[in-house]
Parts: sequence; C-alpha cells; structure tokens
Amino acid sequence: MALLTVRNLHARVAGKDILKGIDLEVAPGEVHAIMGPNGSGKSTLASVLAGRDGYEVTQGEVLFDGKPLLELSPEARAAAGVFLAFQYPVEIPGVGNIHFLRTALNAQRRSKGLEELDAMDFLQLAKEKSKLVQLDAAFMNRSVNEGFSGGEKKRNEIFQMAVLEPRLAILDETDSGLDIDALRTVAGGVNALRSPERGMVLITHYQRLLDYIVPDKVHVIAAGRIVRSGGRELALELEEKGYGWLGLDGGKKTTAEARR
Amino acid sequence: MTAALAHYLDVATRFQAAPEQASAPQWLKRLRADALAHFERQGLPTTRDEAWKYSRLGSIAEGTFIPRTGVSRDTAHLSAVVERLGLPGPRLVFVDGRLAPELSSVAGLPRGLTLKPLRDAVREDGELLESVLGQRALANEHAFTALNAALLEEGVLLRLAPGALSEVPVQVVFLTRGDAPVLSSPRILVVAGESSEASLVETYASAGPAGSAATFTNAVTEVTLGDNASLHHYKVQVEADAALHVGALHARQGRDSRFASHAFAFGGAMARNEVHAAFAGEGGDATLNGLYVGQGAQHLDNRTALDHAVPRCTSRELYKGVLDGQSRGTFHGLIRVRQDAQHTDSRQQNRNLLLSESAQADARPQLEIFADDVKCAHGAAVGRLDAQALFYLRSRGVPQAEAERLLTYAFAREVVEAVPAGPVRANIEALLAVKLPGAAQREVTA
Repeated sequence: MALLTVRNLHARVAGKDILKGIDLEVAPGEVHAIMGPNGSGKSTLASVLAGRDGYEVTQGEVLFDGKPLLELSPEARAAAGVFLAFQYPVEIPGVGNIHFLRTALNAQRRSKGLEELDAMDFLQLAKEKSKLVQLDAAFMNRSVNEGFSGGEKKRNEIFQMAVLEPRLAILDETDSGLDIDALRTVAGGVNALRSPERGMVLITHYQRLLDYIVPDKVHVIAAGRIVRSGGRELALELEEKGYGWLGLDGGKKTTAEARR
Repeated sequence: MTAALAHYLDVATRFQAAPEQASAPQWLKRLRADALAHFERQGLPTTRDEAWKYSRLGSIAEGTFIPRTGVSRDTAHLSAVVERLGLPGPRLVFVDGRLAPELSSVAGLPRGLTLKPLRDAVREDGELLESVLGQRALANEHAFTALNAALLEEGVLLRLAPGALSEVPVQVVFLTRGDAPVLSSPRILVVAGESSEASLVETYASAGPAGSAATFTNAVTEVTLGDNASLHHYKVQVEADAALHVGALHARQGRDSRFASHAFAFGGAMARNEVHAAFAGEGGDATLNGLYVGQGAQHLDNRTALDHAVPRCTSRELYKGVLDGQSRGTFHGLIRVRQDAQHTDSRQQNRNLLLSESAQADARPQLEIFADDVKCAHGAAVGRLDAQALFYLRSRGVPQAEAERLLTYAFAREVVEAVPAGPVRANIEALLAVKLPGAAQREVTA
C-alpha cells in the first residue's frame, strides 16, 4: 500500500488557487523529487501536507497510510510520522534546541503510548544522531536556529529528522542557498536516513541536489499541476533544456541555462 | 474630599495620636505629621494625574483598609509559608505589616552588615535615620509615599559598612493573611557605605487560603548607595488575587556605584511598582529590569524613572509583560538626561506579549534629554505569539498548548536570566513556573 496518496488536490492561499489537481503516490522506501519553476506550487504542496495555517483545500484528498491526513492537526500529523524540513527554518529565541527536540520527541512518544525518554537517554540519542550532519554540541545548546547560518539551519532540520525518525519526510528546498560542502553534508545525512520503510519527497528547484540524493521518481510541477513524471533521466533533461522546454509559462532558467 | 481620603486621613490621625506613639522621637513625629499634611493636600491620585493615567486604584479608593493591631499568629502555618517561598539566609519577616520575630532570624549575617527592624533603628540609629528617611522618597511628590510616611512605624534598616561584602542575599518577607482588610505600610531603608556590596530580596506574598479578603500593601524602599557601592535589589510580588499593592523604590547612587533592580510582579488584583534611580555622582550604573505576568483581571502597573543628573552614567532597562485573560499591563518609563549629564549611555526596552484577545498592554517610554552628547535608545512593542514559531513547534509534534507555553516561557525567561545564577534566580524560576504552569521545564545541558 502506498504510504502517501494525493488525489486531485486543489488548494488556495489568500483567495488564489495555487494547486489545481495534484496526483501523487509515494510507496515506502521511495524517494520522489518534485521539481518546478518558482511559483509553480511546490512549497504550497509541502505546506498543505504539513498542515500550515492559511491554506484552504478546495478539492481532493490526501491519505497517509490509507487514512485521511488533512483533518489532522500539525502535531497529530507529526505523531503519525510526517516530517517537513522547512525551506526557511524558524528562529525561536529562548527555546533551547535540545529542550525543544526532547519535548517534541516525547510528545510523539506519548501519543504512541511509548514511555518518554529521560534527559540522559535523550542526550545520548541526540549526540549519536548529530554525527550524521556533523552538528556539534554547541549548536544543540543554543536557541532553536537563532543566529545559525543558512547551512547550519538546514543541517539542524536533518538532525531533527534523524531524531524523530518520520515515516514520510518532505524536504522543502533543503538544498537552496547551500554551498557545495554544506550540500554534501546535508545530502549525506538524508541518504543515511533512506530506508525501506521511509518515504521521501524532495522539493527542489535545482537538479544539483539530485546528483547527491538520487531519486526513484521525478515529477515536474507547473501552474499547480504535475505535468510530467519519470525517472532520474527527466531531471537530467531539465538540467539540459530548462523548464522552458516543457512549454511552461513563468519558467525560470536553470543553472545550466544561466551559465551559457 | 472623597470618603476614601477621609478614611485614610482618619486612620493616620488616630495612629499619630495613639498613646503608644507619645514616646516617639520628635523628628519622627514631625516627619509623620508633615507627611499627613502632604497626603491631605495631594489626595489619592486619579487617572487625571499624568503619573496614574493608565492606572486604576480598585478598592484602594473605597477606603476600608486599616492597619493591623494586636498580634495573634499561627506560627506553624506561617513558618511553612516562609519556607515554601524559600531562601536560606538571614531574614526579617512581617505579617500583616507587623514584625514577626518568631519567623525572623539574622543569624549568619556577614560582618559589616546590619539588618534590623525599623522600630529598633528608630531608637538606636536616630541620627542616621533622620538623615535618610524621607530624603529619597519624597512625601510632597507622591501621595502614597506620604501615606506610608504618615503611618511610618514598621520596616527594616539594612546598613552596609564601608567595604562590607555579602555573598548571601538578605531577605525581607511581607506576608498578608487576608482575614481582614489590612493596610500595611512598610518602609525599607538601605544605606550602603563606600565599596560595599550586597543583595536584598523583598518578597510580598499572601499566607491566607484562596478567596481571602483584599489587603492593601503600600511599601516604600529608600536606597542610598555610597561611592563604588553595589546593590542587587529583587522585588518578588506574588500576593493573592484579591491583594492591592503599591510599591515605590527610590535609589540615590553615589559615584561609580552599581544598582540593579529586578522587579517581578506576578500577584495582586492591582499592583503598581515604581522604581526611581537618581545618579548623584559620575560613573554610576543602573539596571532596571522587570517582568509582569497577568492573568484573569489583574492590573499590573510599572513605572520607572531614571534621573541622569551627572555625566558619564549608564542605565539599562528591560521590562517585559505577559498578559492573559482580561489582564492589563502598563509600563511608563521616564529617562531624564539633564543638561550637565554629557556622555550618558541609556537604553530602555519594553516588550509585551498578549496571550488573549482581551488582554491589554500600554507602553509609554518618555525621554527628556537636555544634554547633547549622549546615547539614548528606547523601544516598545506589544505583540502576540509568533505564528511561524508555533507552527514550527507543532510540525515537530509539540501539542499546541505546550508549544504556546514553551514560547511564552521563552519570552519571559530573558528577564529571569538577567538575574545572576544562584538561589535567588532558582527561586524566581520556581515562582514563575507556578505562575505559568507546565512551561518551566529546565534545560538539558550537554
């Protein structure tokens, strides 16, 4: 059975229709890349799946593990196993990174009827997981994302994912704004978290990410619809020809195009 | 004349004419009588007074409060309350405005420190008292200070000899029982000699069961800091829901002295707290911090006034409010930089977090700058919990209510963290955790 099923999803933001009939099916163990020009609806899809306020679903449905997802609160989605790595991770002054993450993990464990982790056990777990993205102890004790560089914020997202062990991870432009070293580190963390039980949706503007995280399937989204799906080669074709090749409005040049 | 004014005048007149006051020293009798005249002239403030524009007196203006006479106390119960508020170290405890010797102990007071009840100081330190009492907190300018002085009898003298250092905080604790509409008028005097250093914690709390009668505490603190002296002053006000509280602290700072005021207002139906600091010598440093946390119909009113009268002094102010329910918080901060006060460096910040639709905050910075070579900055903000931060926490699985508490506590803790680490901070953290339940889980450190 599919882990995530999106059927004919329509959504609007501030009275404007953004998603106009998305269909998507992600099986456990699969990594799907969703690519598209700016304004195509990529990030809106991520926000709707995670339950952000201000997005109105007007048609369609989303099933997670065969159960309706959209009626759940954001925290209930997280507890069910949905994780969103934010495009812009939020800075929260005064809330310690490690305290926040333990609160989150224990809330999820409570909702599953599991015993909470005490401070020492949690710290052990956090130290182990932080190695995945080379995040040192000093970051763990700072306020959530406060004063972090762009790369540190994205590494922190993957660190959180490693601790929370979601069944479906949605990575919203996790690669944007990263230099190549940071991208390698983040991609390394993501690859280490690939597993036969876990599904992933990578939302990205750039093909470059897919050199480091090789997807099983690639979808191109434009004007709120998935206009083409294929394997890895579709991304390479996009890299070569740009979004314009698909005859899309608002297509922005890819890095390859811009270099010419 | 309002009925309330007549009531308080009557209370003070009777007090001053009582037979047991006949033996009071002349200077004290004169001070009380002058104060009574000042009070009568000024009357109770109203919202038409600039300094009380955003305030409301509540039942203070109904005038039924009277000083406690006669002593009968449940020592075991009160002792448990004091322990629960709990700091170790030397302390004087007052119940309904009256010294409770059986709850007090000055054992362990470091050398060079004197902590004694004001009654004793009146007998033993008359000359000193005459020179400082009423000299910082002026009865002719503040009606409630005048009322306090007109009823002046109970309180504390903390005296630091030159060079005296105290590592342990000194405490004064004022409990009200709420079994009657009691008026308490404590006066706290701090006289710190050159290069002395100490911490003083003033705690105001209720000892009665929930739903006790309203009480009215009208406290005045006068601080005189000698050259290069340092005082950390903490005011922790956690009185019952029905309590009314008016407090004013006036500090006069000598050359190179440091004064830090940390004011925590968690309790009371109406609580007004004033902190005034005046620089009398160059090189002084003042920190005025405050945290007010209101729920229900609480009205928490904060006023600060900094008088930069001389050059090269530094002041920092951070007041934060967390307001839920129908509560209302006000901050009015005056910074006056006089013409001669060049190289003044002053910063003031007031930030308010509203947790409900009907909570309200009024922020009123007031800068009066007459010198031209100064650095002065101020900022005021009123806002709600950050929706982005809330979603971020929830998206990781933190339930909404817990996420809100986490963010609320994060907002408030900045003021708590400005308190140096130690037993005083731990105690304030514990009291904040009671006020904001579930929010104050401690950090895990690696």
